[in-house]
Amino acid sequence: MKFQIEDVTVYFPYDHIYPEQYSYMIELKRALDAKGHCLLEMPTGTGKTIALLSLITSYSLSKPQSPIKLIYCTRTVHEMEKTLAELKLLHNYQIKHLGPQARILAIGLSSRKNLCVNPTVLAAENRDSVDAGCRKLTASWVRAMAAENPNVPTCQFFENYEKAASAAVLPPGVYTLQDLRAFGKEKGWCPYFLARHMVQFANVVVYSYQYLLDPKVAGIISKEMQKESVVVFDEAHNIDNVCIEALSVSVRRQTLEGATRNLNRISQEIDRFKATDASRLRSEYNRLVEGLALRGNLPITDTWLSNPALPDDILKEAVPGNIRRAEHFLHVLRRLVQYLRGRLETDNVEKESPVGFVASISSHAGIDQKTLKFCYDRLHSLMLTLEITDTDEFLHIQTICDFATLIGTYARGFSIIIEPFDERMPHIPDPVLQLSCHDASLAIKPVFDRFQSVVITSGTLSPIDLYPRLLNFHPVVSRSFTMSLTRDCICPMVLTRGSDQLPVSTKFDMRSDPGVVRNYGKLLLEMVSVVPDGIVCFFVSYSYMDGIINTWNDSGILKEIMQHKLVFIETQDVVETTLALDNYRRACDCGRGAVFFSVARGKVAEGIDFDRHYGRLVIMFGVPFQYTLSKILLARLEYLRDTFQIKEGDFLTFDALRQAAQCVGRVIRSKADYGMMIFADKRYSRHDKRSKLPSWILSHLRDANLNLSTDMALHIAREFLRKMAQPYDKTGGSDRKTLLSQEDLEKMGDGSVHEMLY
Amino acid sequence: MNNGGARRMNGGGEEDDDEDYVNGDLDAWERTYTDERSWESLQEDESGLLRPIDNKALYHSQYRRRLRSLSSTATAARIQKGLIRYLYLVIDLSRAASETDFRPSRIVVIAKHVEAFIREFFDQNPLSQVGLLTIKDGVAQCLTDLGGSPESHIKALMNKLECSGDSSLQNALDLVDGYLNQIPSYGHREVLILYAALSTCDPGDIMETIQKCKKSKIRCSVIGLAAEMFICKHLCQETGGTYSVALDESHFKELILEHAPPPPAIAEFATANLIKMGFPQRAAEGSISICSCHKEAKVGAGYTCPRCKARVCELPTECRICGLTLVSSPHLARSYHHLFPIAPFDEVPPFSLNDPNHKLQRNCFGCQQSLLNPGNKPGLLVVCPKCKGYFCLDCDIYIHESLHNCPGCDSFRHSKADKE
Repeated sequence: MKFQIEDVTVYFPYDHIYPEQYSYMIELKRALDAKGHCLLEMPTGTGKTIALLSLITSYSLSKPQSPIKLIYCTRTVHEMEKTLAELKLLHNYQIKHLGPQARILAIGLSSRKNLCVNPTVLAAENRDSVDAGCRKLTASWVRAMAAENPNVPTCQFFENYEKAASAAVLPPGVYTLQDLRAFGKEKGWCPYFLARHMVQFANVVVYSYQYLLDPKVAGIISKEMQKESVVVFDEAHNIDNVCIEALSVSVRRQTLEGATRNLNRISQEIDRFKATDASRLRSEYNRLVEGLALRGNLPITDTWLSNPALPDDILKEAVPGNIRRAEHFLHVLRRLVQYLRGRLETDNVEKESPVGFVASISSHAGIDQKTLKFCYDRLHSLMLTLEITDTDEFLHIQTICDFATLIGTYARGFSIIIEPFDERMPHIPDPVLQLSCHDASLAIKPVFDRFQSVVITSGTLSPIDLYPRLLNFHPVVSRSFTMSLTRDCICPMVLTRGSDQLPVSTKFDMRSDPGVVRNYGKLLLEMVSVVPDGIVCFFVSYSYMDGIINTWNDSGILKEIMQHKLVFIETQDVVETTLALDNYRRACDCGRGAVFFSVARGKVAEGIDFDRHYGRLVIMFGVPFQYTLSKILLARLEYLRDTFQIKEGDFLTFDALRQAAQCVGRVIRSKADYGMMIFADKRYSRHDKRSKLPSWILSHLRDANLNLSTDMALHIAREFLRKMAQPYDKTGGSDRKTLLSQEDLEKMGDGSVHEMLY
Repeated sequence: MNNGGARRMNGGGEEDDDEDYVNGDLDAWERTYTDERSWESLQEDESGLLRPIDNKALYHSQYRRRLRSLSSTATAARIQKGLIRYLYLVIDLSRAASETDFRPSRIVVIAKHVEAFIREFFDQNPLSQVGLLTIKDGVAQCLTDLGGSPESHIKALMNKLECSGDSSLQNALDLVDGYLNQIPSYGHREVLILYAALSTCDPGDIMETIQKCKKSKIRCSVIGLAAEMFICKHLCQETGGTYSVALDESHFKELILEHAPPPPAIAEFATANLIKMGFPQRAAEGSISICSCHKEAKVGAGYTCPRCKARVCELPTECRICGLTLVSSPHLARSYHHLFPIAPFDEVPPFSLNDPNHKLQRNCFGCQQSLLNPGNKPGLLVVCPKCKGYFCLDCDIYIHESLHNCPGCDSFRHSKADKE
């Protein structure tokens, strides 16, 4: 169907549209018109992705004189593929209606691991080794050597791509990673480099968050993007954590030992070069005198890593004199590693600000702040000069330089925390030095500054006013949409008491109370007997889950649960968890029924869907607060309070509730689906906690369901499941339209839509 | 006097104790939720008085809706229907069937309505046969073989109502598949599963069993008692059956009775076949002979097979000796209406009654009662699209569900014939 939103004709590949999709598009359109950033919350299962894609591409089509580029960031490769598949559908539809003028180029970009077609390189097991394997075949000096000596292996695909030079272009169309690989194989061109090249020309680019947020990667991949771009962060409820992780470094003993080994190796290389090819080192020295900006002189394939978020003016400065010579730089690094080793030898927890730390380095190791700042670039310049290709071996020293550059650059928003052992296991010495970033706005600031519109969207962004403060930006539109439903297909409940009327909670002083553990067990036991197929349980932490399952096992509750359903448990091992998930799904399919025990903030809570019969009920045992005694968290809280005036309690609750919402949101992925959610903790009934849940959950949380005991919840569950099993009319009655056809949209002006939705 | 009073009080106390004993495993606060909600059947009228909800109107509207949904599928095209059905009724007697969310317990409710269903089934499908199966302790057991006598099925079921153990859908399907494979090709194979449990403990891959059922063209339908299960839904989708879940007892009754009229035949199965049938005569009144079905000597009241002259007690049945299908002609006639249902009557908006043209028909054509409610308010009424006769809703229900003939159309036809 196609319809008009103000001056834009929107092409939408389906015959019907949900009213919330329509209003989502209207808000998005306004943000694009205003060339500003926006924040949109819409529940999962309402077709966010297609609404976004169809509006932005249509917007771009309607303004051919100034086309905008769409940069779509996803969290996982799987989501990337899904997005591109939707886009393909949309693109076909647009071509059908508009003809060849609607042609666009859309590509997905991922790491070499996902794009490489060279079988020898792909044989490596992890991402870093694939990268290194590729470099071994494609670095400029390797190829130069191969030109002289045909026995040196090179990559056929890369050579063909290079030969094709400017002729190597992708014809317009939508390319998933799969399509790119197929195209590369057919033409004999390297898909990875082709994709990286085409990113500049593509109308739509789909890639991972890191390509924009991690300054190390963003510098190379995303620097060519035009200002007239719309950047979309999908599933962005954790965007602040991604930003922080991109700028945090932790150094352990192993890192330092590895770094020392790396330094020895580099020093051997330097000696070798001095003996054979001293002119290379000299030319590097000259280059450094002129400034780092000259890195651009190196062939494109070799600029594989770039500097962390450095302000541009620093980039243009020349490298300080004391590290221009390779030997001197090595000495500096040795001293730095020595110093860090000394700092790790401590018996108590220390916390320092970057300024103090830099001063202490300066007095003890004699390295000043400016030198530190250039470490990262200097190291890579050196590694290029020394023609080192197995970069995966040098990760340790890269970490150290990364660390040095960050503390040299930022004086605020960071802190350095040295812990001699893990708090939870005080007998095992495991010293760690962490540089933790507290300010999520640092990493994302360049994105906001550079691009015309940034869209942050997810199913859970509540409370929606906190994100602008955390990320330090001013959205022109921030809205939260609810789901229009033909029937009440979600049933959230707050369970505060067990069947013996004693309160249940995972509050610190209550969590080990045998009564609470028993009541939780009884709750699950009752629920497995009335809920069909799959049940998912989320616990607040691995240690709590282990404890409670042990107790249930001892008291026989687990055995009784197993009479009704099979039990599967998430572990920290990815392979084990995947296997468990697989078997869980099979048990749900064949009617045996299963329970999956998982942990909030774990892998499963973030990325795995439990839709349809895979999750008819999700139980959130407790409120998933972060480990509040963690030094890093405390430092971050302090920073947030001082800088953004966000109270500690507010932030902790916000963070816990968004995790809880994320967990329970796993259960419903489309409108035809249905599921129940039980928040099993008395603290959820308090207004300050509850009000932070997303509005699409809150609107279904009836007052009567706020303070339930186990038996009441059981009764409600029975009724709900019976009601949901009845056949229903998908379009909704005439009074509650939940699917709009083209005529419906034409019939109502903008005004009536608003009446209906608000 | 005193004594009497005391005794009465004592008696009362004992009764209370008894009640406690009955609900012994429920605590007081649980009872408030599980008991019947008597207040829900009351409503407040305009003047603030409490009145019982008008169940009749509700019943009528439900009926109209059902009729409409049925007719929309039935009259759109003349659908071929299987009149000779071989239905296995599978009753889940696992642990879950003893739960008490249906009063007094699920199994009692099931048994009660299965009894009604079996009678209704034979009433509507006199040529068909039913067999009973139970699932208990993870094993499926055959309770009665396929047969045409409602009494013997009901008697067999009522004797075996203890519930225990898990239930296994696969075992039940395997067993049914084995039995139904021997059925002649003109018969329609059906399974109706009344499933109380929420899981199935199977010895093997149930998906294979489902495919097997699909291949042998068994139409599997499930009525769940608690919640929707994926595997049941999958089974019904694959084999062309229906899946429904009962909300409460009355809904369960409605759902199970929906399976009484014959379903549309599966397309590739619906080739016309000639079937050999015998129409035995009631014979040998007063003489003693041994019947072939029970192997007992009986006095009088029997039928004689026209081919082998064996004696059978009841119709319809299959002759034990020569295998001939034995029916009586009313049985055939009773199945006939499924093929040619009478059209649903149209609802008449009440105001057209005041129209002077329609003055004549103030009474229902069927029962001759006034169509006006007390207080001269017009009630709901319907009109037959063919003979334009007006009927009240009660007659409408009677005509469509029991009579299967429109008295208006029939009498007009007769009067026309008379004139000629």
